[in-house]
Amino acid sequence: MIEFLQANLAPVMFAGLIVFLLLGYSVAFSLAACGLFFGYFGVELGLLPESLLHALPLRMIGILKNDTLLAIPFFTFMGLILERSGMAEDLLDTVGQLFGPIRGGLAYATVFVGAMLAATTGVVAASVISMGLISLPIMLRYGYDRRLASGVIAASGTLAQIIPPSLVLIVIADQLGRSVGDLYAGAFIPGFVLTLLYAGWVLAVTLVKPAAAPALPLEARTIREPDGSPGMRSVLVLFLLAVGGAVLFAQTRPAETPKDELIVVSMCVGIGIAFALAVLNRVAKLHLLSRMAERVTFVLIPPLALIFLVLGTIFLGIATPTEGGAMGAVGALVMASSRRRLSIKLMKQAMEATMKLSSFVLFILLGATVFSLTFQGVDGPRWVEHLLTSLPGGQIGFLIVVNLLVFVLAFFLDFFELAFIIIPLLGPVAEKMGVDLVWFGVVLAVNMQTSFMHPPFGFALFYLRSVAPHQKHVDHVTKKEIAPVTTGQIYWGAVPFVVIQVIMIGLVIAFPALVTGGLVKQQEVDLDTLQIEAAPSDYGSGDEAARPPAQEAAPGDAGKEGAATAPEAPNKEQEEDPAKALLEEMAKEKKK
Amino acid sequence: MEGLLKLSRRIDALTERIGALVLWLVLAAVLISAANAVARKVFDIGSNAFLEIQWYLFAAIFLLGAGYTMLRQGHVKIDVILGRFSKRTQIKVEIFGIVCFLFPFVIQVIRLVWPIVVQAYASGELSENAGGLLRWPVYALIPTGFALLGLQGVSELIKRIGFLMGRCDDPTHPVQQESAEEELAEEIRRRQVAPEVVGMVEAADDLANDARGRGQRP
Repeated sequence: MIEFLQANLAPVMFAGLIVFLLLGYSVAFSLAACGLFFGYFGVELGLLPESLLHALPLRMIGILKNDTLLAIPFFTFMGLILERSGMAEDLLDTVGQLFGPIRGGLAYATVFVGAMLAATTGVVAASVISMGLISLPIMLRYGYDRRLASGVIAASGTLAQIIPPSLVLIVIADQLGRSVGDLYAGAFIPGFVLTLLYAGWVLAVTLVKPAAAPALPLEARTIREPDGSPGMRSVLVLFLLAVGGAVLFAQTRPAETPKDELIVVSMCVGIGIAFALAVLNRVAKLHLLSRMAERVTFVLIPPLALIFLVLGTIFLGIATPTEGGAMGAVGALVMASSRRRLSIKLMKQAMEATMKLSSFVLFILLGATVFSLTFQGVDGPRWVEHLLTSLPGGQIGFLIVVNLLVFVLAFFLDFFELAFIIIPLLGPVAEKMGVDLVWFGVVLAVNMQTSFMHPPFGFALFYLRSVAPHQKHVDHVTKKEIAPVTTGQIYWGAVPFVVIQVIMIGLVIAFPALVTGGLVKQQEVDLDTLQIEAAPSDYGSGDEAARPPAQEAAPGDAGKEGAATAPEAPNKEQEEDPAKALLEEMAKEKKK
Repeated sequence: MEGLLKLSRRIDALTERIGALVLWLVLAAVLISAANAVARKVFDIGSNAFLEIQWYLFAAIFLLGAGYTMLRQGHVKIDVILGRFSKRTQIKVEIFGIVCFLFPFVIQVIRLVWPIVVQAYASGELSENAGGLLRWPVYALIPTGFALLGLQGVSELIKRIGFLMGRCDDPTHPVQQESAEEELAEEIRRRQVAPEVVGMVEAADDLANDARGRGQRP
């Protein structure tokens, strides 16, 4: 018996974990209990050293010192304040009116606003509730297919999980030992592609079954000119002016400016132009812009400004994700108070929810630390490695099996549990197999996103169910009777989007360039050939050479180091000295 | 039992009060971190003490808030299986969890971390960064937070036993304000019904009069 245990303690412990978790007590404490139980068991049997648990205090203190995780309360707080600031409602109303006149327009608006909310509030529940209460009734009123309507809302809501500043990516970055900035940059294009795929599905539906997503009838288009025209030309002109301004500005920049900086700064210029014109028009009462153009500009600017404040500064390497989160939280406070939506009560609620989320997430991490301490003691990581490296198909085989595993586990576990239990086990194996960990992390993030829309446990579906009409009711605009949305319709509506999600996982696995070829590669192409050879070898493999200093820089002194390099990084010096530019580029990379 | 239930109510009140205080640290952390970031970028100044206070505050938030989170049923559970059983069975499993999972964890952590706090206090351990902070207060947050968690665990245990004996209400559904999600939904509903009317009146108004060009809804 003892011999059997000696040889198989790792698998036994893993099975024990599943039993402990499925018992149904709080995950954090079950994890810890599993670690403690097997720890004592092992010590009693003489399989483990008695000093096993003595490493625990230091690990716990290490968690306290972890700067990365600090971003979690900041982004949570920011999202909670924003979700109540009325921003989502304005966006949905206005963008719905903007796209409404085309077939499938409300569905496109949902996808688009879902992506924007993802980049700002980043709270799945809030996005789904807002869209379910604002867009769903309109879609139902004008005869949208119920499955399409509910599916598109649930799926767009889950974009918050993959589009930065998502909490999942922070946790994954922390667990894989990569920088949050790298994961954000890596997840950006997959998130964008996913948004396009959702929109593509809407397009496909409207082509095959036009009746499933009709255009808004004339009487439902409320933002119109005094003479009744939609005022779209004005929107187009303003849009072209902004784009033109941005492109012109981009061309005046020195050719050596890094691409990501160029894109972000030019976008800001374009947005600034549109905003300035709209303000000028309003203040001087020029009446050059249509109501639609003005409304769209004023509604889109605040979230775009916030996205720049947070994501722009993180991508440019000006701010760490933690700082970006803090700035974003202050920005959210400013925005909510400028809309007169900020109250002490709301602040307290947001702080309370932030405290609870931080506590439960960090306690899962503490519990997982106890578990992994014992699991390492029983040589668990090696067992996992043997298990996974013996799979056929090398890297691809590994990725497929791992993704299947996570896909199935996502039915039962939520993403924090997955991230803290599964990723520490998989990460080292992936690294040994030569899998780029940033890529790996993004693949898993796309995968875990599905856990929010799996019927029947998906959170997004649950929240949509809670706000979708349960009963037959008479619509107060059209006075027609509207049937309830059934739970089956919500479930079936999610299915095509789960399929899209699986396709996306396949795409990211098949084309790693979607992740690693993001903003970073583009900028390398533009620099001298010398840099193309030098930079990727440090970045792409992201290994021994680059890591230790990056990790050392992570705690307190990251701030000072960044202060020394970052402000000088842009333009001038780079023109003269490519080698210096490269060094700075790397410093920036590390800091991210 | 009556005495125990009274004790449990006392503990709940204490936890409640601590939670109400600790939540303000979230705002403090946000403001300090944002100020740090601005100071570093714009004025090129930084202080290690202020950088370190960020994670001291974070540690205080999640450690001291752990008991409160438990009171509010905030530590997530996997209830795919347990959810199918009767309420009484669920409560029994939770009693088992508190006694066999939570308490050993709390006791172990306090036992292991306490010597380190004492040592750091005695030696006056300072941060390795210049101008950094004293370490023992943040180390002491670990046993303090776990003690509060354990205390709340005692209260939860009493309430569950009380429930099984029919002496108190279901402790897993405490009388509580509506959740943040419900409240958000409520707020949107309130505004959504009115604005549609408002929106139509607004449009008619605008058509009738002149384009006042109102950019945003109030």
